[in-house]
Amino acid sequence: MTRKAFMIDTSRCTACRSCQVACKQWNKLPADAEVNRGSYENPAQLTPHLYNKIEFVEKGDGQDFQWLFFNKRCLHCGEAGCIKVCPSAGALYRTAEGLVGFDQEKCISCNYCVNGCPFDVPRYDANNKVTKCHGCFDRVAAGLQPACVKACPTASLKFGDRDKLIAEAKAGGKRIYGEQALGGLNAMYAMDGTPQDYNLAENPSIPQSIFLWKDVIKPLGILGFWGSVGAAMLHYVTVGPKQLEDDIDDQGGE
Amino acid sequence: MSNYIKRFSAFDRVVHWVLAVAFFVLVFSGLGLFAHTFFNYFDFFGGPEQGILAHKIAGIVFLITSVLLFFAHARETCRFDSDDGKWIGACGGYLKRGGKEIPQGKFNAGQKLFALFSIVAAVVLGLTGFVIWDPTAMDRGLTQFSLMLHGLFFVLFMMGAVVHIYLATIGNPGTADGMLWGYVRKVWAKKHASKWYKEVAGKDV
Ligand code: HEM
Ligand code: SF4
Ligand code: SF4
Ligand code: SF4
Repeated sequence: MTRKAFMIDTSRCTACRSCQVACKQWNKLPADAEVNRGSYENPAQLTPHLYNKIEFVEKGDGQDFQWLFFNKRCLHCGEAGCIKVCPSAGALYRTAEGLVGFDQEKCISCNYCVNGCPFDVPRYDANNKVTKCHGCFDRVAAGLQPACVKACPTASLKFGDRDKLIAEAKAGGKRIYGEQALGGLNAMYAMDGTPQDYNLAENPSIPQSIFLWKDVIKPLGILGFWGSVGAAMLHYVTVGPKQLEDDIDDQGGE
Repeated sequence: MSNYIKRFSAFDRVVHWVLAVAFFVLVFSGLGLFAHTFFNYFDFFGGPEQGILAHKIAGIVFLITSVLLFFAHARETCRFDSDDGKWIGACGGYLKRGGKEIPQGKFNAGQKLFALFSIVAAVVLGLTGFVIWDPTAMDRGLTQFSLMLHGLFFVLFMMGAVVHIYLATIGNPGTADGMLWGYVRKVWAKKHASKWYKEVAGKDV
């Protein structure tokens, strides 16, 4: 199976938010009640009912004012921190196309995954089960485009063979975010401006503590436990226990 | 004259064994979260959610009993003298057969270090456990760091417990009696804790 990906061209986005609506429709997600925060951006954050959203980034002022539109979603990391920390195999999983899906039946509501994610993506619904963009793995498996991509009128959102999308964007002279980072993101940005403009890390990586926890402490710990058991057994059969002399109980002090 | 001498009060013993049971509940429920290999341990608790709940309850019991046990013995376990230095230098005589025992108080230097490690680890596990009680509630960086530290001290405590259990049972015959029903044989005390034996033999025979 060739690796599939999203390529999101920020310069083409007009913030019509068809993607937000299409996703809700396909996934049967209810609307979130919101308040007016003095911005068209709405809601403020990804929610358990909102798998993608347009962030409105305001840059500069006066003549220099720029409005940047950024489709925030799960980036379907090639090396996914959420999968790394999930205790329940299969609750978060990689599809044949390389996307990161989830299975609420297997989710044990531990709420670890959002701590493994470099992009603060997973959310938890009313039953405390994981939710996030699943890349429309069901549509993709059936040869369809993801609902948000299909709905996008400006082709800001594209979905297809990863290599082809990268080649296209490069031919268009675009700066690509996520080609290499984290094993290569499967949702990349053809980016107007810099990652900082969108509050993104230049080189995103698995959080340091999470790496130490899962890739260092866990394997060494399992080794250490069996090492301790082995050392105790070896000690018993080599040096042996400190036996008591049996007949001198009653001979008083030293 | 009795062959036995009193070592631990009923309070010490009950606290110790409640702590040990809580520790094993924590180990088995914690392992389910720690690595996929052990996920099936949750079956033992009736499911993952129940396992996590058991872990939280046992955690509270473990922290309380750890503090009680520490203070019950703090007078002996927090004091080190020159004999302890010698004991550590000789690795407690555990590296060769039949050496001469270095005189020790109620607890030898290794036991004291384990007691100190235990209370530090219990407090670290308790504090980090509080932070990760709801992993979405607190600062993200703090939660990630706490998950890491919780795993680290869990692993260290497992290794410590293996050594502790070995040395308290088959590694030193006669030791378990003290924690099981409160008395140890005098010959045990003379061998393993001669300074303590001298101190109490007169008063408590
Ligand atoms: C089946 C398992 C265990 C056995 C057979 C066992 C046995 C013992 C024995 C015999 C002693 C007294 C040693 C002496 O007379 O000097 C003792 C003390 C102690 N045990 Fe255990 N134990 C077990 C599990 C645990 C676990 C899991 C922990 C820790 C989490 C633990 C923590 C301690 C501590 C801290 C002391 C020392 C009390 C002090 O120095 O304040 N034990 N144990
Ligand atoms: S962006 Fe976050 S939730 Fe999405 S795959 Fe990466 S780590 Fe997982
Ligand atoms: S909340 Fe669910 S999906 Fe997330 S890490 Fe826990 S079990 Fe896995
Ligand atoms: S790929 Fe599917 S689930 Fe993800 S944002 Fe688009 S419509 Fe929603």
